[in-house]
Amino acid sequence: MADNNKVVIIGANGTMGAGAGCVFAGAGYNVTMLARSAAKAAEGLADAQNDARAEAIAERIALGAYDADLGRTVGEAGLVFESLAEDLPLKRQFFELIDKSRRPDAIIATGSSGLSIAEMARGRSDSFRRNFLGVHLFNPPHVIVGTEVIPGPDTDPAIVKNVVAMLTKRLGRKVIVTKDMPAFVGNRVGFKVLNETAQLAAEHGVAYIDYLIGPHTGRAMAPLATVDLVGWDVHKAIVDNVHANCKDEAHESFAMPAYMSAALAKGCLGDKTPERGGFYRRAGKEVFVLDPKTGGHEKFAKPAPIEFVEKMKQAHRVGRYSDALKVFAEAKGADADLCRRVVLGYVSYALNRVGEVAASAADVDTIMSYGFNWAPPTAIVDLLGAKNTVAMLQKLKLTVPKTVEQAASRDAKMFAGGVLEYGRTFVG
Amino acid sequence: MTKPAPVYVLGGAQTDFARNWSKEGKHFVAMMREATLAALEATKIEPREVETAHVGNFAAELYAKQGHIGAFFVEIDPTFSGLPTSRHEAACASGSIALIAASAEIEAARYDLACVVGVEQMKTVDSTTGGDYLGTAAWYEREAKGIEFPFPKLFGRLGDEYDKRYGLKDEHLAHISAVNYSNAKRNPNAQTRNWFMSESHAQHESKFNQVIGGRIKVSDCSQVTDGSVAVFLASEKFASAWAKRNGKQLADIPRILGWGHHTAPLEFDTKVAESRDNAYVLPHTRQAILDAFKRASIGSAAELSGIETHDCFTTSEYMAIDHFGITKPGESWKAVEEGVIELGGKLPINPSGGLIGAGHPVGATGVRQMLDCHRQITHSAGDYQVEGAKKFAMLNIGGSGTTSCVFIVGK
Repeated sequence: MADNNKVVIIGANGTMGAGAGCVFAGAGYNVTMLARSAAKAAEGLADAQNDARAEAIAERIALGAYDADLGRTVGEAGLVFESLAEDLPLKRQFFELIDKSRRPDAIIATGSSGLSIAEMARGRSDSFRRNFLGVHLFNPPHVIVGTEVIPGPDTDPAIVKNVVAMLTKRLGRKVIVTKDMPAFVGNRVGFKVLNETAQLAAEHGVAYIDYLIGPHTGRAMAPLATVDLVGWDVHKAIVDNVHANCKDEAHESFAMPAYMSAALAKGCLGDKTPERGGFYRRAGKEVFVLDPKTGGHEKFAKPAPIEFVEKMKQAHRVGRYSDALKVFAEAKGADADLCRRVVLGYVSYALNRVGEVAASAADVDTIMSYGFNWAPPTAIVDLLGAKNTVAMLQKLKLTVPKTVEQAASRDAKMFAGGVLEYGRTFVG
Repeated sequence: MTKPAPVYVLGGAQTDFARNWSKEGKHFVAMMREATLAALEATKIEPREVETAHVGNFAAELYAKQGHIGAFFVEIDPTFSGLPTSRHEAACASGSIALIAASAEIEAARYDLACVVGVEQMKTVDSTTGGDYLGTAAWYEREAKGIEFPFPKLFGRLGDEYDKRYGLKDEHLAHISAVNYSNAKRNPNAQTRNWFMSESHAQHESKFNQVIGGRIKVSDCSQVTDGSVAVFLASEKFASAWAKRNGKQLADIPRILGWGHHTAPLEFDTKVAESRDNAYVLPHTRQAILDAFKRASIGSAAELSGIETHDCFTTSEYMAIDHFGITKPGESWKAVEEGVIELGGKLPINPSGGLIGAGHPVGATGVRQMLDCHRQITHSAGDYQVEGAKKFAMLNIGGSGTTSCVFIVGK
């Protein structure tokens, strides 16, 4: 790596570009933030200053425009971080420009959250392809430290090693290396669950699903509220990409529900369109919730409490996570069955990715825990007991992942850390 | 006086000080539980082996409307039912008072294994309310009532007193802040490990670095957070058996080599009046350090490998530098300028990031400092390890320099 401490960010006025500027400058790099115009780049800098809560971060950040500054700044950079819109032709057009001006030893990273790394590198010089890889940061990058590194078919393994070390040591990231498959590991697993809950909301309603599969099931935020935060456009791009390009055991879970497509067409993007909303819409202090059946928003009414959910929350509140999972495993009735279907579905789908897009169960744990703030799947297995997990998966007719089967046969623990590593993911 | 029986430090665990337990919807007992269970796992101690427990906590009555905090230890594990437990309070030095009580019990041979837990949940309230609660660590009615953020103002006056007696440049305080933030980046449990800080940011007042009181800006302050820490203290009898079953020598187990504990008058003005003719601004803090040196048979700070000190504000770390005798009184700036206090310097201060970088869950801080001393002496501090550390000191302060507790840990 051309470790001259100079980083150029392309697409610096976007949320992730500005966030990356904050993270790299915060780690002491000399950053150049590039956008269509210097004024646009300055917007990115203002966002980076807000993220860092420090105006002084500007001392490490220069601004520029593509036309005037890309050739020169890229020519000096040790690392170029591309953070443009998720538009393959657009990205390819920029990589062609970068290929022309980059230093032969400069690393080029794309921040894409799921497009093909191989496709992005296709047609570029040998040197470019050896030094090109994906570095997927999660939003907002100054808070969420989970990071995926995705080598392309020609990426030099030494470059991968260097980048992982740099991200870990200098940027304080929790890094996993994934295969170059649609949505990589985090978004593939995460959006399977998110879209499944969106599908279930068509029948059961938004408020009920967010309550039933709420933070007590091992997540910082309820799933449909998460989709609103991420943005429905981003949600659609991710699930459509996986649905079109992956044929796995959960293929249908990636089909965007019709009511979502209809609302999206009307401009409902979630929190970024507050006047139209998404699953939720806020007007002053009032909260409205989407009725998937009519497409309209109705006044939010708290769902009727469900005994096992309340018991789980009580147990989490005092740090008794295994007691909570015992309640979860043993609860009777349709509500509990539905909750188990989604949560065990998550465990099954996540750990079935081991050996496919993910290298290990520990990697899946890392990215779900530090990229999504969700309970690591193997921690759920340990809390339920591996044998019990196998029985529950079989009853639900879900694939039993090999790693879980092995843990059950050896009566072994799966999660590498302890309660201090997973406790925060269970919310009371 | 006969030499008391030795007290061994077997290790422990802490929660991630970046966590917000209110956001997690949790009661502070969850925090105590995670820290204690992790400490048991880290030390390979069985719950049934614990004989007594001491809990350090400042103000759960205010932050969580809950008293009787010692009893919550029993709620951690059914095995603990029936154990003698107690809660100790001395503002920000609560954790150290719990350590002193536990070590006294072991010295007195009442028990062989004590668990000391520090805990504070502070993010239950907004910062102004929290600032008011912290005011009860001063003489509330006289020094804090009706004052917004009383403590930054009190510690700003500590800086003013230095300025008056010896001269003080704010750039030295900014450097102290930058060092603590920089060290915290190496500490996986530090509150600020992903926060931005630079010397120039710390030096200047700005939108994001406002003056909180007097000469104290946000960057000079440790920030409140939630956290719990558990450590085990043991008698020689328990430590020998424990060392043996873990394939270690007793001589490899860190001990409390010395301690010091003094309390000054509560009000800052009274303290300053009392020390008017003294070279040290806080002579009782200085005495606590000297007592610990004497008990540990240490001649001077030069024999230490490092210090975890109470930098609730940059001014308190500035004070600690000359009070430890690293420089002559009033010359702390020299150690700052010469890089003495930096990781890799002659006598690193707060390799963990201290209160400013690692976070300051008030009642847990003293216990966190003890755990960090243990990490340093057992060379298990990871990226913030002081190379070859042999003896480490900690200074934990309650109030505006009111209660001072010092421990020296080594083999």
